[in-house]
Amino acid sequence: MNTVRYHIRHRTAYFYSGRIDLCHSLAHLRPREDEGLEMTSHKIEVTPEPRFQRERRDYFGNTTNYFAIQQSHELLDVVATTTVTKADFTPPLPVAAVAWDKLRVPPNGKDSSGVRLLNYILPTNACPRLAAAADFLKPSLIPGRDVMELVNQVMGRIHREFHYVPGATDTTTPLEKVLKQRQGVCQDFAHVMIAALRPLEIPVRYVSGYLETLPPPGQVKLQGADATHAWIEAFSPTTGWVGFDPTNNCLPGGQHIKICHGRDYFDVQPLKGIFLGNGTQDLVVQVDVERM
Amino acid sequence: MVPRELYHAGPKTRDEAVQRDGKPVPAWAEMFESYGRHGSGVLKDWREAALRISRDRGLAYRPDRGDGSNWTLDPIPWIFSPEEWQSIETGVSQKLRLSAAILADLYGEQKLIDKGLIPASIILSHRGFLRALHDYPPGGKAIGLGMTAFDIAKDAGGRTYILNDRFDCPYGLGVALENRTVVNRVLPNLFRRCQVRRIGYFFADWFDYLAEKSPSGTDTPRIVILDSNTGGESSEISFLANYCGITRVGPFDLTVRGGKVWLKALSGLKPVDVIWKATYGRDLDPLEANRPHSAEGITGIFQALRESNVAVASHPGAEVLQSPGLFPFLAPICRNLLGEELILPPAATWWCGDKRARQYVLDHLPSMVVKSVGHHSDFRTRYGQRLSASELGELKAMIEAEPERYVGQEELNISTVPASTPSGLVPRSAVVRSFAFLDGKGLPHVMPGGLGRVSTAEGIIISTRESGESKDIWVRSHYPDAPISIARRLAQSRGISPEVVPSRRGENLYWAGRYGERTDSISRFANRLVVGRSSGFSYGRDLEARHEKTLIEALFRIFEVDGWMEKVKDPDERLKLILSDSFCPIGVGPNLSSFHRACMAAREEWSVTSILAIESARENWFTNTKGFDSPYPYEAELEKLELSLAAFHGLNLDSMTRDEAWGLLDAGRRIERMATLTALLSYVLEVNEPEPMATLLNESVLFVSDSLGTYQTKFLTVPTTGLTLTLLLGEEDYPRSLRYLLERLENVLNKLKPPAKRPHPRDRIPPMREELARFVTELNPETGTTDQSRKAALDFLASCRRQLKELSDYITTSYFSHAGNQG
Repeated sequence: MNTVRYHIRHRTAYFYSGRIDLCHSLAHLRPREDEGLEMTSHKIEVTPEPRFQRERRDYFGNTTNYFAIQQSHELLDVVATTTVTKADFTPPLPVAAVAWDKLRVPPNGKDSSGVRLLNYILPTNACPRLAAAADFLKPSLIPGRDVMELVNQVMGRIHREFHYVPGATDTTTPLEKVLKQRQGVCQDFAHVMIAALRPLEIPVRYVSGYLETLPPPGQVKLQGADATHAWIEAFSPTTGWVGFDPTNNCLPGGQHIKICHGRDYFDVQPLKGIFLGNGTQDLVVQVDVERM
Repeated sequence: MVPRELYHAGPKTRDEAVQRDGKPVPAWAEMFESYGRHGSGVLKDWREAALRISRDRGLAYRPDRGDGSNWTLDPIPWIFSPEEWQSIETGVSQKLRLSAAILADLYGEQKLIDKGLIPASIILSHRGFLRALHDYPPGGKAIGLGMTAFDIAKDAGGRTYILNDRFDCPYGLGVALENRTVVNRVLPNLFRRCQVRRIGYFFADWFDYLAEKSPSGTDTPRIVILDSNTGGESSEISFLANYCGITRVGPFDLTVRGGKVWLKALSGLKPVDVIWKATYGRDLDPLEANRPHSAEGITGIFQALRESNVAVASHPGAEVLQSPGLFPFLAPICRNLLGEELILPPAATWWCGDKRARQYVLDHLPSMVVKSVGHHSDFRTRYGQRLSASELGELKAMIEAEPERYVGQEELNISTVPASTPSGLVPRSAVVRSFAFLDGKGLPHVMPGGLGRVSTAEGIIISTRESGESKDIWVRSHYPDAPISIARRLAQSRGISPEVVPSRRGENLYWAGRYGERTDSISRFANRLVVGRSSGFSYGRDLEARHEKTLIEALFRIFEVDGWMEKVKDPDERLKLILSDSFCPIGVGPNLSSFHRACMAAREEWSVTSILAIESARENWFTNTKGFDSPYPYEAELEKLELSLAAFHGLNLDSMTRDEAWGLLDAGRRIERMATLTALLSYVLEVNEPEPMATLLNESVLFVSDSLGTYQTKFLTVPTTGLTLTLLLGEEDYPRSLRYLLERLENVLNKLKPPAKRPHPRDRIPPMREELARFVTELNPETGTTDQSRKAALDFLASCRRQLKELSDYITTSYFSHAGNQG
């Protein structure tokens, strides 16, 4: 099987208008290694240097980093550098061999990483049960349709019926609004898909990751042009977890590099920080995904 | 027999005090005997005595927090025989052991879910199940259950039930303590005759346990009780903190550095070992909270827990145990985990996530109580009996749409106890809230007592969200207990770090000083203005109007709110701003409210009588001035207000220890007084009015400085600028003069410890005093009449004002903000 090696540099910088004296952060920046991804190197560099730092596994099996900066600072710079090797191919759409209206996930069942599947069925704050999501789903609900085929079809419809508009939403935009305005970014599309499918009791999880982008033919790739990406994975007992990328209407392949998964964005936010001090902040995120 | 005219239990259910044959239940015999001897008129006396004692102790003010902490007290206790209580205690102890075992399982292996004993959805959908703490199971250094409350009731058949459990932050413990304190004094003889068990031992054991859980192993662990930030008004928690002699803090008072929790105290950061929390665990750490936009909390504390650098009681994830979804499964779980039959079951409950159970609930909906499993705040408990047909239909549709979110519960016919009302004793349904904890060896401790809660009228449901009446719970003993003083016992048995003053409380004290003084000044201004309107000063109307205008503008300038002055021009409207506006920064009301707020946020510092003075000052002002439509009636109210404020300061003078808390309160008062005085004098010199206005203004300056009498006695002349300045700036040993105020300020600042690596704030006073001394030597009766002397005075006052402001800022940054400190 062909493999591909990536060198990824993910920088998050907060520029504060005043001095910050204390900052606690939680990072989800280390890619999971339990799903066919091999990590050659990984480091997180934080400036200024944290006084206190800990790495642990979260509830979903992701690696998270907690760090606290206790000296006065005006800039917080977090750079995660990762080298990974992974299969360079896009799987075909698998068959669940069970219809969506016949799917029964055992109520206390767990997935291969030991997390209860029910976590990925129950509504969350970011992906609540919404009538608008049910309405959206309705046309796809053909009785007897294979679970994976249904998920695939819903992905295609989100791709067609929603517009990718950077800046149209932010992380606080309620899903209801996304459904109404039919526009958003990858995160929103993943949330729409989750909210639509979970009421059918199909386990669906949110995936944060990177996507390698290729420059137009003949042009040099710009530095920092890539971004973090989001897609979903859906579960059936026969197939296990299967990825779907509603933003690009494809099954994640060689160009998708997964970092973490959870119930929604807020379980796997790449960097979350709470700081003590005055002033406003400017955020800069730069991602470079380089094929080696 | 209990005479029917004294008390007549209803036919519908069991009564706890009187048997079916009309004889008193033996445990209640003395109570009825005593009541019968006094006659039914005594109820009124007892109620009044209870109210008076509550008031005297500062307990009567229980602002409604929406959680029932405003339950008022019915002095008639609820009495239990030793044997009856013993059986409750056995049941509560078992429930406690069971709950601890369930909690350990849910944050550990979750065998109960694997075995199908608990449906996963009940746990995973509950907002109190904290996934972030999946790697912090109770046990070892991690506290599982802390203080726990169980609501116990009996039905018509005499069977005992646990209606609700509160594992996260049970309210009512402080109210129970308050009630005991009061009832003990209303009915001292009856209390003795009944040999009521003391509850103090329970608290002493609780603190032994908390101290034992301190992870640091120090001999003197620091234990704090965590209230919400806005809990300044939560008298229950203050009362607990005072009673037990520990520091009450809000989340803002704590900070996490280096994986440890610290208390931001006036004297710097102090390590915290154990937190007894009275806030919800799910809000505790905003960094790892379930909600994306969490409320206030202590950022980073979950990591401190994982590091075993602090212990928190209860486990922040304990709220999940409160789910009524667990009720149908408790009996089999109890058999599985403890190998015992459940002694005190909940009322029969059916989880709608189960198909057959759902059908049963839907079939019997009119007699069901329907509750939410996940504790989602958007669902209010519904009582089938009280719903109309269409409401029942709606409820049915909700259950059918998301059945796993609901349980149906049988509504119990709860037994009654005698409740005192203006028309005598009547039977009312009642519930006991019992408090308990497991100690380090896993032994249950159940408080011999608790909080009785009585329905407000016949057939009304007892809900913690509604206010009503509460009762003291008397557990009788065959032997008398010795009285116990908790604070003393705590001090003796185990070294618990002494209480320190948190920075935020220090800041509130400082502002209580400033706002108290400001309210007083503004009130004196207002008084002068009102008097000017009503009687005139025999200077003629024109002059009087101009004088009023100048005085009000002075007030605007002193407090730097020129914006309001531009906005409001009409003299009557301006006067209203001061007398009755709810927002204007120079209004009496807003300053009084700020003063009250600051005082309440530091309420553990005040004596009971001081609190009464603050409360009545506010209550009287806002109640009495409501509806005043002219300035004139304000005069009497302003005088009353000044009197209350004077009483407050006098009481503090008499009762407060001269420690750093006192230092800040007094510094605040003096700095405010000097700031107002110097600003006012500056303004008068600036406007430089000719006679006769000058005399009138000087008279007003002396009036608002409370110095008119002193001036007249001393100088025997009309107020001149030079002599006014001489008195108010340079007079020796005169409490209203700048000279005296500076001396006292230097003195009182000595109470503060020097801030870390910075000079002591008192070092700023000697230069100010020297500057004043130099200026005073140049003062003479002619000062203010020449341009040169006016300019010298203005320069001096400007310099003084600048230094006062810098001093205030310096105190703020040195003591109230810990942002700059390193952990």
